[in-house]
Amino acid sequence: MIYLDYSATTPVSYEVLDTISKVTKEFVGNANSIHALGQKSAKLLESATKQIADIFGVNASEIIYTSGATEANNMAIIGVAMAHHRKGKHIIVSKLEHPSVYAICDYLKSIGFSIDYVNNDSEGLIDFEDLKSKVREDTILVSICAVNSETGVRQPLKMIRQIIKKENIATIFHSDMTQAIGKVSVNFRDVDLASMSGHKIFGPKGIGFLYKSSMVKITPLIYGSGKSNELKPGTPPLPLIAALSKAVRLACADLEKRERFVSLLNEKIVSSLEKYPNIKINKTKYSIPHILNFSVMNVMPETLIHALDKYEIYVSTNTACASGEASLSVMAIYNDAKRSKHTIRVSLSHVTTTEEVNKFLNVFKEEYEKLSTVR
Amino acid sequence: MEKLIIIKYGELSTKKDNINFFLKTLKQNISNSLSDIKNDITYDFGRMFVLVEESDLENTVDRLKNVFGIWQIIVGYKDTNLDIDAIKENILDLVKNKEFKTFKVVTKRSDKNYPIKSMDVSRIVGSYILKNISDVRVDVHNPEFLVEIEIRKGEVLYYFNGEAGLGGYPVGTLGKGLLMLSGGIDSPVAGYLAIKRGVKIEAIYFESPPHTSEAAKDKVIKLARVLVKYNTTVKLHVINFTHIQETILRNIPYEYLITIMRRMMYRISAIIAHNNKCNILINGESIGQVASQTLTSMRVINEVVKMPVIRPVACFDKLEIIDLAKRIGTYEISTLPYEDCCTIFVPDHPVINPSSIKASEYEELIPYKELIREAIKGHEVIYVGIDEDKEYEDIL
Repeated sequence: MIYLDYSATTPVSYEVLDTISKVTKEFVGNANSIHALGQKSAKLLESATKQIADIFGVNASEIIYTSGATEANNMAIIGVAMAHHRKGKHIIVSKLEHPSVYAICDYLKSIGFSIDYVNNDSEGLIDFEDLKSKVREDTILVSICAVNSETGVRQPLKMIRQIIKKENIATIFHSDMTQAIGKVSVNFRDVDLASMSGHKIFGPKGIGFLYKSSMVKITPLIYGSGKSNELKPGTPPLPLIAALSKAVRLACADLEKRERFVSLLNEKIVSSLEKYPNIKINKTKYSIPHILNFSVMNVMPETLIHALDKYEIYVSTNTACASGEASLSVMAIYNDAKRSKHTIRVSLSHVTTTEEVNKFLNVFKEEYEKLSTVR
Repeated sequence: MEKLIIIKYGELSTKKDNINFFLKTLKQNISNSLSDIKNDITYDFGRMFVLVEESDLENTVDRLKNVFGIWQIIVGYKDTNLDIDAIKENILDLVKNKEFKTFKVVTKRSDKNYPIKSMDVSRIVGSYILKNISDVRVDVHNPEFLVEIEIRKGEVLYYFNGEAGLGGYPVGTLGKGLLMLSGGIDSPVAGYLAIKRGVKIEAIYFESPPHTSEAAKDKVIKLARVLVKYNTTVKLHVINFTHIQETILRNIPYEYLITIMRRMMYRISAIIAHNNKCNILINGESIGQVASQTLTSMRVINEVVKMPVIRPVACFDKLEIIDLAKRIGTYEISTLPYEDCCTIFVPDHPVINPSSIKASEYEELIPYKELIREAIKGHEVIYVGIDEDKEYEDIL
């Protein structure tokens, strides 16, 4: 099997798997219980959270566990909307967000919030002037992802924050960092809220977190009991949390070295696909090397994906959460409808090998050339 | 040019004969806080110089911000080329990317053999900056940016605006004190303030299992660990108070419960302090905050010990204490929801003007001297260091 869809999800690493099984077996107490068994769990919960907080240079109380990035995005965006609607009902998002962000915005629109979409330039970078002009006195939230899931375009969050705060100091800045964490370095202090998901960094599915600066107030979406966190009440899923903490630690080590390696793989693929006149590489100078998007203009991408399936080679059309639809991000950057309907996304990781990439390129060449002659 | 960290002393400059002791202690404290960083520390009566690898510079400055006895931390540059042209070029190079509107150049010559007078060096360098950087002017009274040049034997130092250090005296220069650490908001702040004045602290904590939990003790260890940042290590004495507390509860009128309990704690603390060469007791009492902290209560409680009791936050408002607790990082720990032995049994109407005669009479109802001896005999000592519990390292 050649797996080249790491941005959709990753396999759980063996080390993380060990943690899940060990914690499941040995930490049976509820971390909310006051007896010694419960306290043993509470201590592990605390150490796990502190490890994550230390890695990102924030306080442990600023980490709120969720089931993943979609829940974290909901918690952040709806949470801000509910807590601050008296100050304003205006929210700004980019045109490069994950589908879950748009779904949340559609809901908020239906209950009276107004959503503005900030433009980006032809390199995928947020248009600073446009952002500046759109931030108003009643803008309560701006949400811009750190790395776009389809094209890998990375946004300069620090600069964006400065622009937002200069226009309106009270506007809260959220960033979906799911595709950035574990791939490139991030700084939580650039934002007020950040979402992430464990299964993108070789952790288990069903766990992620929201970073919420202690200076920001949001309204809880879920109500219940348990002292671990007022935003996410209930019994903390300790095996998943400990596993997430370990996955974060492993993912954030050696970032630069790994990024350089992935860059080499990326360049190898680009240089061999560039040769085809009907393949357009959807990559700008701001794309991170882990995500490589291209449009196969003369073949339907689904057909190609099924053709690769036979060889157990797995790539995707666009983000897994919007499969089958045109890529909004490619549309936003290139403004070309056909190009955005014909996208294929190859996503790499530091565990991808050169052999895998070579094999993929060979098979791709064969199948693509065969399919090209069909019509 | 070589980068180095220059440390300016705070109140130390008022010390005379014993200044060497203060400086030696400061050097030792700095060296302790940089134990895992390769460093070289030298000093004279005016300042201390810390040399580290360039990659450790930022981390070193952060560590120094937690060391008492430092007034200013400045990252400076050292060069051996004393030629005036080299000096002005070097300085221009260093300042041209900084943002400022007004500046001033100050020169000191500890090497009086240097041919150009200090004032002249300042003038030459100042006019060179004026000529080469647009839109800046000299303001000798209130400059936004200060360029300092120090000409020493065979070397010259350049430095600019520094960062504020914590002030205070080097920890340990004033001897030891015993901090009564409860787990609340006030006592860690009191400990911090005592450390600031150069007092090396040990801590004492009273637990009352099963009325108080293991989690409450963990919380106190965590608080001690925050203080370790400033104090190198904290020797924590844990006293099992259960027997004393239950005996008081069974035998003494309820409204005097807190008064007598506090008197017992004071007596035990004084003995522990004496045995560990601590000269004073330190606690987080604040005038009027609770019934045991009225002036009458303080007098009646205090009279059972002879050593001085220092109450650094006695005259602080609660909000001022909270602010400081947040700043030093103890607030979040202190507000964790665990009972300590002062809060588990609280009478509805504790006496706010206790009488010392009554207190003594009530104490005669219990064999308190024996109880105290028993509590001290079995007491636990924990050395709290900076390192966290690595218990779950294999899992995480």
